[in-house]
Amino acid sequence: MARDLLMALTIALLLGAAAFFAARMLPLVRVMRRARPTSRLDHWPRRLGFMAGQVLAHKRLLQMKMSGVLHFFIFSGFVILFIDIVDAVGQVFAPGFNIGPALDCVVDIFVALVLIGIVLAVYQRAVLKPERYHGSDERDGYVILGMIAVIMIGIILHESFYPFAAPLLFHVRPGLDPWGFLGYALARVWMATGLAAHPAIAETGYITGYILDIGMVFAFLAYLPTSKHLHIFLAVPSIFLHKTRPHGELVEPLPPEEGMAIRSVADMNWKDVMDLFTCTECGRCQAVCPAHASGQRLSPKMVIIELRDAVRRELAGEPPVPLAGGVVSAEELWACTTCGACQEACPVFIEHVPKIAGLRAALLEDGEIDKSAQKVLVGWDRQGNSFGQPVRKRPAWAKGLDVPIKDARKEPVDWLWFVGDFASYEPRVQNLSRLVARLLQQAGVDFGILYEGEVNSGNDALRMGEYGLFETLAQKNLAMLEKAQFNQIFTTDPHSFNALRNEYRKLGFERPVRHYTQAFLDLIEEGKLNPSPLNLKVTYHDPCYLGRWNRVFDAPRQLLERMGIELVEMPRHGANSFCCGAGGGRIWMEENGVSDRPANIRIREALSLEDVNYFVVACPKDMSMFSAAVQSTNGEERMKVIDVAELLAQAVGLNEPVETAAAT
Amino acid sequence: MRVAVLLKAVPDLVEELVLDEESGSLQYDEMSYVPSEWDDQALEEALILKEESGAQVTAIAVSTGDVDTMLFTALAKGADHVVKITGDFDASMSNWQQARVLSDYVREQDFDMVLSGVQAIDDVDGQIPGLVAGFLNWPHASVVTEVRMGGDSKVLLRQEYSGGLVAEIEVESPVVIGVQAARKPPRYASVAKVRQVAKSVAIEEVSAGAPAGPAFADIQFVRPVAAGRAEMIEGDVDAVADRIVQILADHNLLRRA
Ligand code: SF4
Ligand code: SF4
Repeated sequence: MARDLLMALTIALLLGAAAFFAARMLPLVRVMRRARPTSRLDHWPRRLGFMAGQVLAHKRLLQMKMSGVLHFFIFSGFVILFIDIVDAVGQVFAPGFNIGPALDCVVDIFVALVLIGIVLAVYQRAVLKPERYHGSDERDGYVILGMIAVIMIGIILHESFYPFAAPLLFHVRPGLDPWGFLGYALARVWMATGLAAHPAIAETGYITGYILDIGMVFAFLAYLPTSKHLHIFLAVPSIFLHKTRPHGELVEPLPPEEGMAIRSVADMNWKDVMDLFTCTECGRCQAVCPAHASGQRLSPKMVIIELRDAVRRELAGEPPVPLAGGVVSAEELWACTTCGACQEACPVFIEHVPKIAGLRAALLEDGEIDKSAQKVLVGWDRQGNSFGQPVRKRPAWAKGLDVPIKDARKEPVDWLWFVGDFASYEPRVQNLSRLVARLLQQAGVDFGILYEGEVNSGNDALRMGEYGLFETLAQKNLAMLEKAQFNQIFTTDPHSFNALRNEYRKLGFERPVRHYTQAFLDLIEEGKLNPSPLNLKVTYHDPCYLGRWNRVFDAPRQLLERMGIELVEMPRHGANSFCCGAGGGRIWMEENGVSDRPANIRIREALSLEDVNYFVVACPKDMSMFSAAVQSTNGEERMKVIDVAELLAQAVGLNEPVETAAAT
Repeated sequence: MRVAVLLKAVPDLVEELVLDEESGSLQYDEMSYVPSEWDDQALEEALILKEESGAQVTAIAVSTGDVDTMLFTALAKGADHVVKITGDFDASMSNWQQARVLSDYVREQDFDMVLSGVQAIDDVDGQIPGLVAGFLNWPHASVVTEVRMGGDSKVLLRQEYSGGLVAEIEVESPVVIGVQAARKPPRYASVAKVRQVAKSVAIEEVSAGAPAGPAFADIQFVRPVAAGRAEMIEGDVDAVADRIVQILADHNLLRRA
């Protein structure tokens, strides 16, 4: 009788929860179907391998120790949960069913781990209160932790009463099972206190435990779709569906007519929509965001949450609000440096930057953009540079050289140097450009530049949401590059590097492109440059568009090593490097709401290293940003910002020894 | 309410003005052109007016060269209609002639208001709005920083005077207004949007004859000879600072506390 009831209850709960879950999930599926296409099913063996590393080994999650470990405990508990469900439901439906002592033991081990995980999680949320949770739905976090705790208690409870209740309910006589050690221990307590002897208590205890366990599992299922814990279902597929196109490519080749602007939900691609519901609100992205750190209103986490809530409101029948400028404010959107740190940190591989850029594109279509940045866009369109300088002055930096540089438009060259705006027009960086030219000359490289034929690569224009301008600029460059004869492209500018390497593909350009750190390393390896040891101690800043977006981490480091330089890493380096604040067009925008500039934060990070007096950069914008930052943090005495090329020039005897900058 | 905005392309001063030193003539064909920035302000003010009170905005340009992109940009920003006045014109066309051609067109239409940049780099005395008003025999206000609709075909204008005074003017339409600055900085028109507009909307072309009228017999352009008054201060920071203090003192520009 009681068993029939339990069976009926189980089935009813299962059907109810499944129906509820489906009803809540279907609208999401419909939204995703209305969204734009993106191809995410290619290279599936690679995707599977990637998924395994991230899901089973928790690779990225474990980058934050405590959170990673506690998540691993809880996550593994969920896997184990399925064994328990089979066990518990099996006992009811097939009297005498048993999953065996080994699995019993495993279940109990993981129940213990999950409970430890929950204690750690509550400790983290309630006591440590990391800033990254700011803005997350804390209640939801506790509700979920509570539900999981109840399930775990239910498991142990019904397990402990099973030996005493089974004869009454199921007419089988299982013995005590010491392998299920938690249930066993509790069963001994029931025996010692005499509770086990009362049939009513044994039955009630068992049924209560069963309902807490299985009932809560189903309640959990029904609750999930409105919770950030939907990631339990979506995270794994999301990781499988991660982007496999070149990492540094911001937008996929666009179907003609369809711009990159995201005005409404339907303008996102389906994976973008899925991302919104996969977000766990963990705030890892917020913790690494330079815009957030500098006191601006942007948090990548909040962008995702705001978009998700907007989709939910639309699903609930509310009239749609424009996403750009409405749901996500213009102030938030323009604060982004497109550094990509958020994407690098996100454990479920959400892509924030394409969404932000798409939303910016929508703002731009309505003419809404910072006025200084607007001037830069107009300048690119008219003169091809961000300095408001005439086209004919682009190659002016090359004038003072003893040996003139070849014009790659007129004669074939081995290396074509794509110089970029900053290296062409910014006075301080012009010196560096001349130095690079002399280094190439010393190494006997046959190289040339495009002179007035080069325009800005369009990398930043694209990241400001100006796809049309990007295309115009790219086409101008491509027309020149098509005419020129060269074997490879060489560039001193990571932003141009990224555009040439990743963004020009969609316009049909695929030629080898190298950053000067890579190229110089090769020249040394080939014996064409012979640096003598400099015996300096330096730190190195990974530019976002060289490191994070293009994974060039080793070449600059090896180059320093070849020059006999000791590298002391900053706490944040490599893929976790901290942006200088200049990217994504930020360098030209007003610093509204900035209380502490990212570049200053970064310089202070470097100043915390002992005995390090050189801050080595490999990007012309970094030279500008950090030189200013060293001044405004009063670090001039201690720290000198220096380009890799300056060090190399000194190591090969081209330059005066770098001033022994600081009082050591 | 129908608003006409007069747009004009002027030489891009970022690039070099090409001067034939011998003949003293500008090489108009060899220079690049950009929309006059004051006209951009006039257009912006017209678009604000459109957003506020539903005015219909028509942008008009005389085809003294390639003015299509300028007109498409106006459409992309929100103008309702664009007109190009074609004829045997080129970039050397005088402001007087342009004003004549423009006013001939405006007269045939029923505009309530004409907005133009108060000046342009090749019209520093702001002839165009003044002449257009004269030819049309309409009232004219210049150096305006705000245009609003009043009741009964009245237009409210704002002019800023030196000494911190502001004039609020009410005029009966139709009226010609030289705009100094719009209430907001001119909006951006994205390249894609301009391109899309260029594909989907046509420019209305109106042909006009070359106007006869007064013209300069001859203009000679020369580059001013440098007077050589600048002094380059050299030396280290202290030396430079001392020298600057010295110069200020020499000119009696120092006040000591
Ligand atoms: S790209 Fe960088 S600045 Fe932009 S949201 Fe992500 S972390 Fe913040
Ligand atoms: S976007 Fe990713 S990193 Fe940011 S809160 Fe969501 S899950 Fe965490």
